Amino acid sequence: MLQKKICMLGGFSVGKTSLVRRFVKSIFSETYLTTVGVKIDKKSVALPDKTVDLILWDLAGEDDIGSFRVSHVRGATGLVLVVDGTRAATLTAALTLRERVEAEFGAMPFVLLFNKSDLADRWVIPDREIDELRQRGWQVYLTSALSGEHVDDAFLKLASMVTK
Amino acid sequence: MQRLPREIGNWIYDFFYNERAIAYVKIDAQLRTAAKGGNVQHYGLSSLRIGKPVADQLEFMEGLLPCPELPFHMPMVELPSGRVADLHLFADDDCVWLLFLDATAERDNKQRLQQKAYEMTLLQERERQLNEKLHSANEALRKSQEGLSREYQRAEALLLNILPASIAERLKAHKKIADNHAEVSVLFADIVGFTERARSVGAVTTLAILNYFFKAADRLAERHGCEKIKTIGDCVMVVAGLPTARSDHAQALAHYAVELRKAVKRESFAGEPIRLRIGIHSGPIVAGVIGKRRFAYDLWGETVNLASRIQTSAEPSEIRISDATRQLLGPKFACDPLEETELRGAGRVRMWRLPA
Repeated sequence: MLQKKICMLGGFSVGKTSLVRRFVKSIFSETYLTTVGVKIDKKSVALPDKTVDLILWDLAGEDDIGSFRVSHVRGATGLVLVVDGTRAATLTAALTLRERVEAEFGAMPFVLLFNKSDLADRWVIPDREIDELRQRGWQVYLTSALSGEHVDDAFLKLASMVTK
Repeated sequence: MQRLPREIGNWIYDFFYNERAIAYVKIDAQLRTAAKGGNVQHYGLSSLRIGKPVADQLEFMEGLLPCPELPFHMPMVELPSGRVADLHLFADDDCVWLLFLDATAERDNKQRLQQKAYEMTLLQERERQLNEKLHSANEALRKSQEGLSREYQRAEALLLNILPASIAERLKAHKKIADNHAEVSVLFADIVGFTERARSVGAVTTLAILNYFFKAADRLAERHGCEKIKTIGDCVMVVAGLPTARSDHAQALAHYAVELRKAVKRESFAGEPIRLRIGIHSGPIVAGVIGKRRFAYDLWGETVNLASRIQTSAEPSEIRISDATRQLLGPKFACDPLEETELRGAGRVRMWRLPA
């Protein structure tokens, strides 16, 4: 059985739990419910040449209180970095978390998600910033857990990256 | 470490065992389930099969075995059963123990607090964003208002150049303007020999001469409280007693005419000082605004026609006035009588000349 541990990383209220729910159960709720500790979900993903079970670790979001625990990431083979496109500071939060994880466990594949793309009128991330991140060779997606836009694409891409 | 009395040890054991619903899984060197025990059903571990690989049965153990860092602690992991456990991994000879301690209540408590704190922070962030938006919207509004007010002032200034102020006000209020004025004086003045001289000096010089003449006419109109109504070619039409009536309209216009004649003499046109023919007549007129897009404030009536005829009949540098105007001027203005002259459309007309 092929299974891979994947960790959702990002600031608080960026939509990590909602993205997992959209990807695993195809549902979305407007109600915000903060995550404490970690919730674990599983989703089988069919790739062209194999099937892989993604074990998704939905970690508590990072904030000033610092509820993120790097120990939860042990054993992970890939990261989903999540940014809230309506809050500029959450990009820094996601990148800082990745640095902390890499310092502890070394570099690993990741996808970067700018979530809440449905909130166009409140969007604060300029296109050129996203282009610049893509030019680094990063896999960047503009997602909406509400509509489901690009959510599957992002997880499938990461699944193929961690099984290479 | 000093051992606690056995009774306390027992009490702590019972307390923790019941409060934290302790369960364990023993993992052998082949990373298989060697044994399980404690409150396993609390965590939904009853179906865990001995002898099978741990990571296949406990998905959250994927990637954690073998664990290079022992003992290892992962707090508040929500299991598929919905229970939340603090997970402890520690080594013992050739096997690893995985310990489950229930943390559901602690997680729920912490979640309530964190929920409040995050919601508050999100609200503050949103408020700040909205304030910034409001601020920049206000700024943009203020700028466009400034622009608008500048445009308005320009339009206002332009309108006032074309129309008397009180007429402009009424026009802005969308009123129709056609007023009878019983007593006004009307003046026409043009440049002697304009057409021939214009031909000899060229367009640029001609324009400069006209500009000089009309500017003088404007300036003096302001000084004497007269209104310049319009220009027709090289001819200027000025009225006194409009739009506000005044009893000394004839005197005002007579003074105006004298000053205008004096002012233009200072400039030469094709080598000679500019000379004017000036005619004045007094009487009733109708004043009004015609046109919709290009406004023109103008005067109509026999008084206007006769003033124009008198002007045409005047000699170079002469200010020729009608008998009506002379009577209004009174004895203070010594006027030279002229011979009665036949004017087109008016018959024989008695006229006077204002002395130089």
